[in-house]
This record gives sequence, C-alpha cells and structure tokens, in this order.
Amino acid sequence: MPKTAETRMSAQALGELANNIRLDILDMVYKAQSGHIGGSFSAAEIVTTLYFAEMRNLDPQNPRLPHRDRFVLSKGHACPVWYACLSRLGFFDAEHLDSLRKINSILQGHPDMKSTPGIDITTGSLGHGCASATGMALEGKAAKDQRRVYTVLGDGEINEGVVWETAMAAAKYELDNLVFFIDKNNLQMDGTSDEIMPLLSIEDKFRSFGWHVLTIDGHDIEQILCALDLARLTKGKPTCIVANTTKGKGVSFMEDVRNWHGKAPSTEEYQAARAELVA
Amino acid sequence: MKKLVKSNKPTRLAFAERMVEYGEINQDFVVFEADIGYSTNSYLFDNQYPERYFQMGIAEFGMMASAAGMAANGRPVVVAGYGVFLTMRALESVRSFICYPNLNVKLMSSHGGTTAAIDGVTHQASEDMALMTSLPNMHVFAPCDSASSRALFDVTMETQGPVYCRLMRDSYYELYDESATFKCGGSNVLCEGDDLTIVSYGDILFQAIEAAEELRASGVSVEVVDAYSVKPLDWDTIGKSIAKTGRVIVAEGHQQRNGMAYEIACRMAKQGLSAKFDHLGLKDTFAESGAYPLLLDKYGLSAKHIIDVASEMLLEQELAV
Repeated sequence: MPKTAETRMSAQALGELANNIRLDILDMVYKAQSGHIGGSFSAAEIVTTLYFAEMRNLDPQNPRLPHRDRFVLSKGHACPVWYACLSRLGFFDAEHLDSLRKINSILQGHPDMKSTPGIDITTGSLGHGCASATGMALEGKAAKDQRRVYTVLGDGEINEGVVWETAMAAAKYELDNLVFFIDKNNLQMDGTSDEIMPLLSIEDKFRSFGWHVLTIDGHDIEQILCALDLARLTKGKPTCIVANTTKGKGVSFMEDVRNWHGKAPSTEEYQAARAELVA
Repeated sequence: MKKLVKSNKPTRLAFAERMVEYGEINQDFVVFEADIGYSTNSYLFDNQYPERYFQMGIAEFGMMASAAGMAANGRPVVVAGYGVFLTMRALESVRSFICYPNLNVKLMSSHGGTTAAIDGVTHQASEDMALMTSLPNMHVFAPCDSASSRALFDVTMETQGPVYCRLMRDSYYELYDESATFKCGGSNVLCEGDDLTIVSYGDILFQAIEAAEELRASGVSVEVVDAYSVKPLDWDTIGKSIAKTGRVIVAEGHQQRNGMAYEIACRMAKQGLSAKFDHLGLKDTFAESGAYPLLLDKYGLSAKHIIDVASEMLLEQELAV
C-alpha cells in the first residue's frame, strides 16, 4: 500500500533531507572536481520525495527485489542527486560518494546499472532513460505486478525525438503505472530553453499525446506529494508532472546561472555554497 | 623527433577557432549544434556568424537529417557534437542520408576515444572509427594537436563529401608547427627507424612517441607514423615502413576490433607482407569513469604497454635467431 499521510515523513522533514542531499551533491562534485550541480539541485526535492515518501518495496539489502517500484533518472548527468539518495537509504556506504567519477568507483560519471546498487538502468545519453522506464512499466503490466515506475527528465532533454516516440507508446499502452517528472528549470547547456529550442507548453504537448498532466512547483514538497497521489488515482493514462524548478536551487550564486550546468566549484565557491546550504 | 610541448588547448578548441577564421574564407558553409556548443566550442562561430549558426537543440538524429537537407541544397554543413551521439545516435542518418548521397556534411566530433574519461562510457566514443570508416564515401581524420587540428579543418572543408573529424576533450601536447602539411590520405613519419614501426593517431600518438623515445634510448631504432588520415589510409607510407622494419605496433584509443589495426593487418595479408604485428586498444571491453592517465594504465593504452609489446616482439626475434 502507498504510504499514508500518517506514515510518510513530513513535508518539512523531507525538505530538510533534500537540503542535506544538496550538501552531499556539493561535496561529491567538489571532491571529484567534475560533475553536474545545477541539474542535481533542481531535482533535489523531487528525487528525495520519491525515494523517502513515495516508492515502495525498496530494500537496500536486496536491491533487485522483484516488486520494487522503479526509478529512472533519464537526465542521467544529474546522477549525484541519485547517488546521494541511494547512499542515505543504505544501498551503499557513504564513503563511496568521495569516489564519484574516479577510476574503479561504483559511482560512474553517468548512471551505470552494473556498477551501482539500486540503479536499475543505465542512462546518460538523453532521452533513452524515459523510454527504458516505459519498458519497465510495460513489463510491470505484463507481469501483472503493482509496481510503479518514476522517471525524471530534463526540460532540455525533451528536445530529443525519442521522448515523443515514447510518449505515444506509453499512452497507447495506457501505462497508468508510469510517471514522468519534467524538471523544468528552463536552462540548458548553451542557454535558456527558449533560446535553444522553444518548448511552448509542455503541458499541452503531453495532454495532446494522451497523458494525464499536472503542473507543480518542483521545490514544494506538499505539491510533489499531492501530484503523486493524483497520479496514483489516475487510471488508463500515464501521468506527466511538469515541475517548475530553478537550476542550481539553494545556492544564490548558482541559481539560474548557465555556467553551473557542469562546473565544479573552487574551494572558495565550495565554502560559500556550503555556508548557504547549512544556514 | 620534434620535442613535445605541453599544450593547454584541446583539439576541439583549435578546430573551432580555425572554423571561425575559415568562415571568412568560405562564406557558404553553416554550423549545426545540439546544445553543447560551449563544449565543442562551436559557440565561437555563433559569436562571429550568428546568421550561419543553427542551434538544433538536444536532438542529434534530427539535426543530422536536417544537415543532409541543407547540404543537398548545396550548402556545406559542419555538425558539432560528441562522438558517441554523432556516430551512434545519428548513425542511420549519417549513413543513408549523408554518406549514400555523398553530401558535404562535416562531423566535428569531440570526446573521441577514452578522452571523455571522467564522464564515463556513455560519453566515450570508443567505437566511432569502426563505424565511420565502414561507411562508403566517408573520410575520417584525427588530429592530435592545435596545428594539425587547424590544418585538418581546412582539409575537411576542401575534401569533397562527408568527413568525420575526431577531436579530443582535453589538451595533451603540441607536436606540429604551422609549417607541417596535412592532406586527405596522408600521414607523417615523425621519426625514422629500422627495427620497429609504431602507427597511431590522436591522443594515443603521444603514448607512441613517449614509448618510441624510451625504446630509442635503449638502442631500438623506432619509426613512428602519425596516421592522421584514418580513411583513406596512407598505406603507401605505412606499408613501406613495415616492409623496412619487419615489425609493427598499431596503437589507438578505440576498440581493438575494427580499428585501424584491422585495416593494416588486412592490407599486410593481402599484399603478403610478412612482419611481426600487434595492436593496442580496448580489448573488447568498455572503459569506465576515471582520470585519463589512469584509464590508459588500466586499459592497456599507455606508453608502458607499447614498450612491453615492443620488447616482447624484439625478444621473440632474438630468440628466433
């Protein structure tokens, strides 16, 4: 059964946890001197809420439990947020976080299902993850399993044609066990989403493809929880939750700055960012 | 051999800088980008010629097919991107709609081989040469430094038909100066020798040079060939070198299978050229995330590995005598 309001962590506790996840991300990328902070921060509340309040049958000691809910980070470059959540759940020891992107590490530069306990599918080439998630949802239906499949896509990522091929297939097969979050931070590597490829209304697009569509503030945990409840109640359609977010959320000088897509902080920047996050 | 100087300019940057200069020389061509312009450095062209720069979004397959359409109307297109996405995600488009009609689309491809190192396997183009050299009409070049990148940009534009130019994420060394010459189907013999030929290109060429210097210091006469024109290959030069030395090692930042070594072995067999042969590359495996030098060590692509192979080859010959 889904966690009830009584058994769930409170929204406030989840918010605090998301902030600690941001600290983990900052530490990881600083130590690696490489990685993607901006898009990891924008998805922090979404991924934290999914793992700590929504997903069922997760067992860190048995990461491939058949009936577990699945999570796919389709915007794979934001994997520090995924690694931080998995580590805090106990899928692997926190000391591994220091080895991000280093040789022999279980934490690859982009998510690798063969290296990291708790990761069900390899991602990192944009667009593929959401299609793989759709395959997992299809398999769930075929197996008559109650599992749900959650995926987070970047708004830039939905430039990829495969996203729309997948959107059609998921609607065709009425995958009400599938949820897409669009982490809509409006910023891509080369500029704003409007400059790179105007997305117009993502909601209208998914709606016209036959999806149940919701729009939320992606940093508001109550709204994330509410949207997940609504998604679960929706039958016969996959749900797309368009989450308005801020790239680099939580650190003033990283917020909405294109350059923080894939930049490692200097020692000074690291200390300043840390001070803001612990304040 | 010319002394190597540490470089702080990756080939992806040198190539893009020359592209901006060339924008004046050839006023027809345009540039397509898939939202990594600040990484491929194609943004420099956007700064200078915004009306000739097309930001196609994170959509490599569609971008490639659109480039075909642009080129079919007579306008050359430079398509910027990472090797994995240009050669694998957009492969069918490259094959059927650019190579088959033999269009002037030039793939400016960064993060070749394992040079994407820390980004991991999803961003390392370790099968790109196999794929691109397999395509009829495609030309494949691989510069190693700034001067060769600049020169090969010109060669890329002057070569009729599609070109795949493999560039690298990081900077290594500067080998050539502006006087060096490059041509489609050419190669450069960097040092002459009688005992062993080492053929390489791109980033691994520097491992070959380091190995050659060490081997030369211990009295082995090594010839190093920079086979920067991977397709068409300069077999005339390479074949003659192998015939002279009787031993060849091909070292490439690529899967061993279907890399340049396969073509060299095939040509040797066809010609009945008998020589000791070995090759270095990824051994039917994917690499992983990690610092570039550590990856070379772990996956058998470093100068030390070349020296080990060479020593074994030279020893075998001695034992035979």
